[in-house]
Amino acid sequence: MTNPQTDGDPLWYKDAVLYEVHVRAFFDSDDDGIGDFRGLAQKLDYLQDLGANTLWLLPFYPSPLKDDGYDISSYTDVHPSYGTLDDFKLFLDQAHRRGMRVLTELVVNHTSDQHPWFQEARRSQNNPRRDWYVWSSTQERYRQARIIFTDTELSNWAWDPISKSYYWHRFFSHQPDLNYDNPAVLEEVWNIMKFWLDIGVDAFRLDAVPYLVERENTSCENLPETHAVLKHLRRRMDENYPGRFLLAEANQWPEDAVAYFGSGDECQMAFHFPLMPRMFMAVKLEDRKPIMDILQRTPALPENCQWGMFLRNHDELTLEMVTDEERDYLYDEYAKDKLTRLNLGIRRRLAPLLENDRRRVELMNGILMSLPGSPIIYYGDEIGMGDNVYVGDRNGVRTPMQWCGGWNAGFSNADPEQLYLPLISNPVYGYQTVNVESQRRFPHSILSWMKRLIVLRRSSRVFGRGTLEFLTPPNHRVLAYVRELGNERVLVVNNLSSSAQAVELDLRRFKGTIPIEMFGGNPFPRVMDRPYLLTLGPYQFYWFRLRRI
Amino acid sequence: MGDFIIKNLTDTLGNFSAMVMEFLPRLLAMTIIIVVGGVVAWIVKAILRRILLFLRFNSLFESAGITQMMPKTALPSPSDLLARLVFWVVWVSFMLFGVSALGVLALQEEISRFFLLIPQIFVALVILFVGLLIANFAARATLLAAVNANSSSPRLLSGVVRFIIVILVVTMALERIGLGHGVVLVAFAIFFGALMLGLALAFGLGGRDVARRILEKRFAEDNKEEEDGMSHL
Amino acid sequence: MSEDTFLSDEFLQQITAAGEADILAGVPTLNNARTIERTVRAIQVGLVKYFPRQRAAIVISDGGSRDGTLNLVKSIAPPDFRTMLAAPPLRTMHTLATPHRAIWGRGGAFRTIFAAADLLRVKACTVISPDLESMTPEWIEGLIRPIYRENVDFVAPIYLRHKFDGLLLKQILSPLIAAAYGYEIQEPYGGELAFSGRLAAQYMNEDVFSKEFMRQGAEVWMTTTAMAGGFRLGQSFLGPKIHAPKSGGLDLAGTIQQVVGALFNCLETHQQFWMSRNQVEAVPVFGFENDMELPAVRVDRKRMFQMFQTGVQELASVHDLILSPDTLQRIREIAKLSDREFCLPDDLWVKTVYEFAASFHHSVINRDHILQALTPLYRGRISSFLHENHEAGITDLGEKLKALRLQYQQSKSYLIERWSASA
Repeated sequence: MTNPQTDGDPLWYKDAVLYEVHVRAFFDSDDDGIGDFRGLAQKLDYLQDLGANTLWLLPFYPSPLKDDGYDISSYTDVHPSYGTLDDFKLFLDQAHRRGMRVLTELVVNHTSDQHPWFQEARRSQNNPRRDWYVWSSTQERYRQARIIFTDTELSNWAWDPISKSYYWHRFFSHQPDLNYDNPAVLEEVWNIMKFWLDIGVDAFRLDAVPYLVERENTSCENLPETHAVLKHLRRRMDENYPGRFLLAEANQWPEDAVAYFGSGDECQMAFHFPLMPRMFMAVKLEDRKPIMDILQRTPALPENCQWGMFLRNHDELTLEMVTDEERDYLYDEYAKDKLTRLNLGIRRRLAPLLENDRRRVELMNGILMSLPGSPIIYYGDEIGMGDNVYVGDRNGVRTPMQWCGGWNAGFSNADPEQLYLPLISNPVYGYQTVNVESQRRFPHSILSWMKRLIVLRRSSRVFGRGTLEFLTPPNHRVLAYVRELGNERVLVVNNLSSSAQAVELDLRRFKGTIPIEMFGGNPFPRVMDRPYLLTLGPYQFYWFRLRRI
Repeated sequence: MGDFIIKNLTDTLGNFSAMVMEFLPRLLAMTIIIVVGGVVAWIVKAILRRILLFLRFNSLFESAGITQMMPKTALPSPSDLLARLVFWVVWVSFMLFGVSALGVLALQEEISRFFLLIPQIFVALVILFVGLLIANFAARATLLAAVNANSSSPRLLSGVVRFIIVILVVTMALERIGLGHGVVLVAFAIFFGALMLGLALAFGLGGRDVARRILEKRFAEDNKEEEDGMSHL
Repeated sequence: MSEDTFLSDEFLQQITAAGEADILAGVPTLNNARTIERTVRAIQVGLVKYFPRQRAAIVISDGGSRDGTLNLVKSIAPPDFRTMLAAPPLRTMHTLATPHRAIWGRGGAFRTIFAAADLLRVKACTVISPDLESMTPEWIEGLIRPIYRENVDFVAPIYLRHKFDGLLLKQILSPLIAAAYGYEIQEPYGGELAFSGRLAAQYMNEDVFSKEFMRQGAEVWMTTTAMAGGFRLGQSFLGPKIHAPKSGGLDLAGTIQQVVGALFNCLETHQQFWMSRNQVEAVPVFGFENDMELPAVRVDRKRMFQMFQTGVQELASVHDLILSPDTLQRIREIAKLSDREFCLPDDLWVKTVYEFAASFHHSVINRDHILQALTPLYRGRISSFLHENHEAGITDLGEKLKALRLQYQQSKSYLIERWSASA
C-alpha cells in the first residue's frame, strides 16, 4: 500500500485543504439508501478535482447511531452499512493513489453504552472492566463541570440500574466516559490507534479531547492529566509512525485551545472554534473588530503546529466561545427562527446562514482560505447546499450529497423513502437546483469558483505557513491583512459591508512593489509613499501578490 | 414831446419786450432744466436704490452694527436714506443750474459758492448724524452697564460720555464747513475728543462685552459675591 | 459660508471611515482638557452598555481650544470595557474630532455635529457638554432611548435641582416657551439633549448658524425649532447636573442678554407658528424622576432688591422706550416699597417680559440694550420670589410655578397684540 506521507514533507498538514465528509452521506454504491466506502471511493475524482487534499471522515465504526456514530461500540471495525474493513482499505488505497490523505475520528473520551466494555463494566462492582469507566454512588462528585448538551441532559451523572450506581458522561447519557486514570484504558487506546495507523490512516481527529480526565473541584476540562495523556499518545505515534498528525477538537478560547499543542508535543492541529462565529458576526456587523480582536488574542503556535479553520461543520454552529451579548446578537441575526437553534448554537449550513447570498458565501470562503491555518470545507458547502431543520438534532446538515437533478439526486438508486435522511427538495436549495452536475457545467457556478479559490490557496505556502499582519485603515468595514513567508507577500483586502467602500491602506513598508491581483493576474498601480487607495464593491475582496519587479 | 414819450415808451416797451423775450426762453430753460433735473434725480435715485439693493447695502450696515444703533422705527433704511439724499442733492443742483441759466450775475456767484460748499455740508451733516447716534448709543451702553454693575452714579457717567462725544462731533462738523477757524479750543477739543471717541467707540462697538466687563470691574469691585453662587440656568 | 467648504477634508475623511452610524454623540468643546477624557469615557461606556448592537460614533467639535483639548481627544484610548461591563463591545467605535469654524462660536460646533449626523445617516443624535462632573453612562441611555426606541424626535433633559436653582428658566424661558409654543418643557436650555436624524436634517437646513444668538442660545433655538416644526417631543430625567468650575463665565446681565435674547430671536423666527397656536400640551417624561434635597444656594436677596430699585430709577429713560406707560408706572410704584413689603406679582412680571419681547421685536432701541435693561427687573422678580417662597416646600413651589405658567398663557393675547402692533 502506498503512503504519500513517507516521501513528503512532515509538515504537509500545514498546506492541507481538508474536506469533511460523512461516508453515509456521500455516495451509495449498493442501493441501500446509505452511502458507503465503495461509493466514496468512486467519488474521489470529484474531490481531487475540487482540490481537497485531505479527507476528514466522520465516525464510520459500528455504533447504535444514537449520536451519529460518535457512540462507538467497536473501535476496530467498520459499520456494516458503510461496507467492510476491506472496503475501507480499498478506499484508502484509492485516496493515497491520488495523493490525498485521510483523517479519521478517534472518539475515545467515551464509548457507546452498547460497547462490550461498558456492558462488562456495569455487570458487577468488581468486574475487571469496572474501572474502565467512571463510577460514583452519588451525583455530588465533579459538581463544577458544566453540562454541554443543555437541551437534553440535566446532569453529567446517569443512573445505571444494573450496577446500582451513577456513571459519568460529559455528553449524552448513552455515552459513558472512559476512565483515563486506568493505565489499561490508555494502552487500549494506543492499540486502537496502532490498528488504524497500520492500515494507513494519516491522521486522527481527537474528539472531545478536553474532557478525558476528571478531577474534583475543577471544571474537568483542560486538565494537566489530560495533556499528559495526549503527550503519551503523540510520543508513541511519532516513534512508530512519523508524518502523521493529531487534530484536537477543543472547543475552547484560543488561550486554552493552544494548550493542546503543548510545546509541539501534543496535537499538531486544533480547531479555532472562537473565530468562526466571529466571522459571521463581522459580516453582519459590517465591522472587522470581532475578527481582529480574536486573532490578536490568539497566541503564537509552536513551529510544527497549525490551526484548523472552518466555517461550518457537521455540528451546530457553536456559540459557546462568545460572550452572552455576542451570542444574543448572533441568535437574533442568524437564527431568528427558534427552530434553528440547538444547544448553544445554530444548526444550519453555510448558504442558508448567509441567506444564499453568493457574494457573502464567496467573501466568507475567501477569508477562510486566506487566514492562517488549514481550511476545512464541509461537504455540500462547496455547491451551496441547504439544510432541513425538521429532521431533528443536527441531521438537518447531514442530508445526502446532491450530485445531479435526477433520481435521488444521483446519491443512490434506492427508493427515495429508503434514504437514511430525505433529500433537500425545496425550490431554492433542492437537488434539482443545487447539484454538482449542473454546477460543473458552468464556469461561474459556486463550485467552479470554489475550485479556482482552492487552486489559488494551494498555489502558495504563504497561506498555510506565512505570518499574519493586520492593516488598520480608518474604514472599519474593510478587513485587510498581509500574509508573508520569506520574500513572498500576499495582501488581502475584504469589504465586510453590503455597500461599496473606499479604503486607504498604509503600505509604505511595501513601497515599490506592484500588487498583482491573484484571481485575474492583472497588475495594479505601484505602491508608493501615499496611502494606497482601493475601492471595493459590496462584499468584494482582493488577494494581491505584492511583487518587486 | 409826445413823440419822445412815445418813442421812449416804445423803446422801453420794446426793450422790455426784448428783455422779456430774452428772459422768457431763459425762464423756460430754467423750468425745463428743473423739471428734467427732477426726472434725472428721480432716475438716479431709482438706479442708486437698485444698485444699493443689489450690493446688499443694508446688510452691510447691519453687519457693521450701525442699523442696530438707530431706532428702527424713526428712520428709513440706510439705502433709502442715501437714495433720498442723493435725489435732493441732484435736484437742488439742477435747480441751481436752472437759476444760473437765468443769467443773474449776483446769483451766479452765490450759486458757485454754494456748489463749493455742498460736499462740505454733506460731510458735516453725516458727521453730525453719525456722531449723535454714537453719542446716544454710547451713553445708553454706559448707563446700562453701570446700572447692571451696581455702580454709584450711572446717569452722571452716561451724561459725561454723551457730552464729550457731542462736543467733539459738533466741533468736527463746524470745522468741516469752515466756521471754527484757528480756535485753540477746537484743536484741544479735537485732541481730547478724539481720545474719548476712541474710547467710546471701543466701548460701544469694538468690544461691547469686554467693555462692559471692564466697566463692571472698574465700578463694582465690591460686587464679587453679588449672585452668591446662584445659578440662573 | 457655503456649505461645501464648511467641513474640513480631514473631518470628511473621518466621516468616510466611520461610514454609517445609528447613534451619534456630539460634544462641543472649548478648553475642556480637564474634563473631556472623563466625558468621552462616560459616553463610550454608555453607548456600549445600552446600545451594544448599534453603530455609534462620537464627534468632538472643538472651537479652537488652547489647552490641547483636541489632541487629548485624539489620544484617548478606548476604555477597558471588561472592568466596566460584562463584555467588550461588538463593534468598532469611532471618535471623530475636528476643529470647527471658531468665529461662529457654538453655532459652528452644532453645525458640525448636525452635518456629521446627516452624513453618517444617524437615527439618533445626542449632544453632551464636555465640562460635566455628574454625567454618567446612564445619561446616554436616558437621552437616546426615547428617540431610538420610542420614536420621539427631540428629548430635553430634566435635571435634579435645588428649588431655587435655575430661576431664569423657571421665571422666563420655560413658561414663556410653554405659553407661546404650547409645549411644557422644563429645561429648554439643557446642555444635554438629543434629537432624531430627521430633526438634525431639519436643523441643517436652517440658516442661523452664523447668527450671534447661536453662540449661547443654540439649545433654545433647537428646542423651539423642534416645537415649531411639529416634531415629537420628550423629556428625560437625568439626575443632578454639576459643571466643572470654570473661570470667565458670564455674569447675570450677560447670561440674560444671551439666553433671553436667543429666545426672543426664536420668537421672531417662529412667529407664524406660535401666534396661531392656542393650546398647551404636556411633554412626556422618560426615566425615573427622583427627589432629593440638594445643598441650598446662598443669595443676598436684599442686595438684589436694592439693585432693582437702582435699576428702575436710573434706567427710567431706557425703560420709557421699552415698556408701556402703565407697566412702567406700576413698576415704579413697587420700587418705592420697602424691602419687606415689596412684591412683584405674576401678572406684572409676565406683562413686563412680554413688553420686552415685543420691544425687542420692534427694535425700539438697540436689542442688546433692551436685554440689558431687563436685568434689574429680573433681579426684582427674583428678590420678590425668594422672599415669598423662602419657606415653601417643593409642592407649594410647584403650585406657584404652575400659577406663573398659567399667567403666561392667559396673557398670551397681550403678547400677540404688542408684538403685531405697528410702531
